[in-house]
Amino acid sequence: MRLTELQSAVQRHVLAGGPTPEALAAVVEPPADERWRIYVDAYRLRLAEALGVQYRALAARCGSEEFDARIASFIAITPSVYRSIRDYGGELAAFLATGAAGVEDELRGELAGFEWQLAAAFDAEAGRPATVAGLATVAAEDWQGLCFRALPCVRRFTTCTNAVAAWRAATAARADDHPTGPVRLPVAVRTAPLEWLVVRVGLDTEFRSLPVDEAEAFDRLAGGASFGELCAALGERLGDAAALQAATWLKGWLHEGLLERP
Amino acid sequence: MRPPLGFGLGLRPVHYTAVLETAPAVDWFEVITENYLVGGGRPLHFLDAVRDRYPVVMHGVSLSIGSAAPLDLDYVDRVRRLAERCEPVWISDHLCWTGTDGANLHDLMPLPYTEEALAHVAGRIDEVQARLGRPLVVENVSSYVSYTHSVMSEWQFLAELARRTGCRLLLDVNNVYVSSRNHGFDAREFLDGVPVADVQQLHIAGHLDLGTHVIDTHDHPVRDEVWDLYAHAVRRFGNVSTLLERDDNIPPLAELVAELDQARAVAARSQREAA
Repeated sequence: MRLTELQSAVQRHVLAGGPTPEALAAVVEPPADERWRIYVDAYRLRLAEALGVQYRALAARCGSEEFDARIASFIAITPSVYRSIRDYGGELAAFLATGAAGVEDELRGELAGFEWQLAAAFDAEAGRPATVAGLATVAAEDWQGLCFRALPCVRRFTTCTNAVAAWRAATAARADDHPTGPVRLPVAVRTAPLEWLVVRVGLDTEFRSLPVDEAEAFDRLAGGASFGELCAALGERLGDAAALQAATWLKGWLHEGLLERP
Repeated sequence: MRPPLGFGLGLRPVHYTAVLETAPAVDWFEVITENYLVGGGRPLHFLDAVRDRYPVVMHGVSLSIGSAAPLDLDYVDRVRRLAERCEPVWISDHLCWTGTDGANLHDLMPLPYTEEALAHVAGRIDEVQARLGRPLVVENVSSYVSYTHSVMSEWQFLAELARRTGCRLLLDVNNVYVSSRNHGFDAREFLDGVPVADVQQLHIAGHLDLGTHVIDTHDHPVRDEVWDLYAHAVRRFGNVSTLLERDDNIPPLAELVAELDQARAVAARSQREAA
């Protein structure tokens, strides 16, 4: 059997949890089938372990039995295509949201998405944050065309449940030294859309909520609109106060280290 | 040939702070390449800090040098850029395949030891070495199954690979032991079949003995039978850089440093015996 055919066959059997491929031999005890299970099981255990680390709050929310079952279902239909196992599992939020049967399922999907964004910011490139001082030399006539983009370690996120409160509670519940005893996980509820900003500050990942109008403005600017276009868009609602509001937000975002120049 | 680095430990995130605060008596650290193929943040911060204080070697797990799929040149280039950043003394990965057809099994799958596989892997090592601008160091993996159409032993395959490509070899003594038990060959015959001049590094680690077979867990202290085999390896290969590898169930740093001291003692005794 050629190497190409051999590896494709072996891989198919691992992914499907299938029987021992014919090309495998065992010269001593135990039998080949038992040896083969080591590879079949290791594949699933390794991915499950990685997801358990990646989605700690979700695991706490679900409880180990249900988390293991959901993860096993996810792994069964989601082969890894990544060099680093750290990159595996980004589709879990969508998997959980698909066929969500109630608000608890919706919360779990958002919780997974939130944890993924936190992890993405954790080791993303720092980029070159633009600063207020760095813009001091920009000529007044050039401000209209000034463009920015979000730094790689900045992530935006929207929830429609109390997923972030659930994350906080689950994270606190995991802490061994929590002073007030067992933490009660909040009951899942739907909310009006809540906007969140995740950013790595130094080596630590932080997040905060955003007012809806600020979130819209940030997304517009980070999405490629120039400062002038942002002011124009705000002008429809704020009139003459648009430029001042845009400048105030921009100054704040620059102080937080959220933006870089393209 | 580079002088040996001495006795090193695998750098694990749980030990970052302890390494920097206690400056343990470790001669060098081996880092898992994939943990640092990221844009920034904590992993690269600590890699830089450790690299400022110790020699570092990059040890990859997903080059998939034995895969029938096309070589992932983007991955190789990312490894090269990381090497430019942390200036490792050398770069190693495993003699295995980790996936094909676009998937990744995240496991070190064994190869069939055939002429076809040998030519295939040798060609890929040549390409990787040219792209990295340095020799690749290739490690033997532990295995539980073998292929019916293999025509040579694992050690013959490794030795021939080194001869054809000039790659260097990392012998994981624990993996040799695990595979010898699982496949019924003599572990010393394996070591004795590898040319002394090709060996760049040794790994030692722990395993789980189930009686009928042995699982390579890398989550236990080194067992006596592996210490014995390590002593044999030192008598054969001499003063070779040695690394204690622990991948799971990771104890406090001081415990690993003490186990590393045991490796120093075994190596010193073995070298005296060989003299």
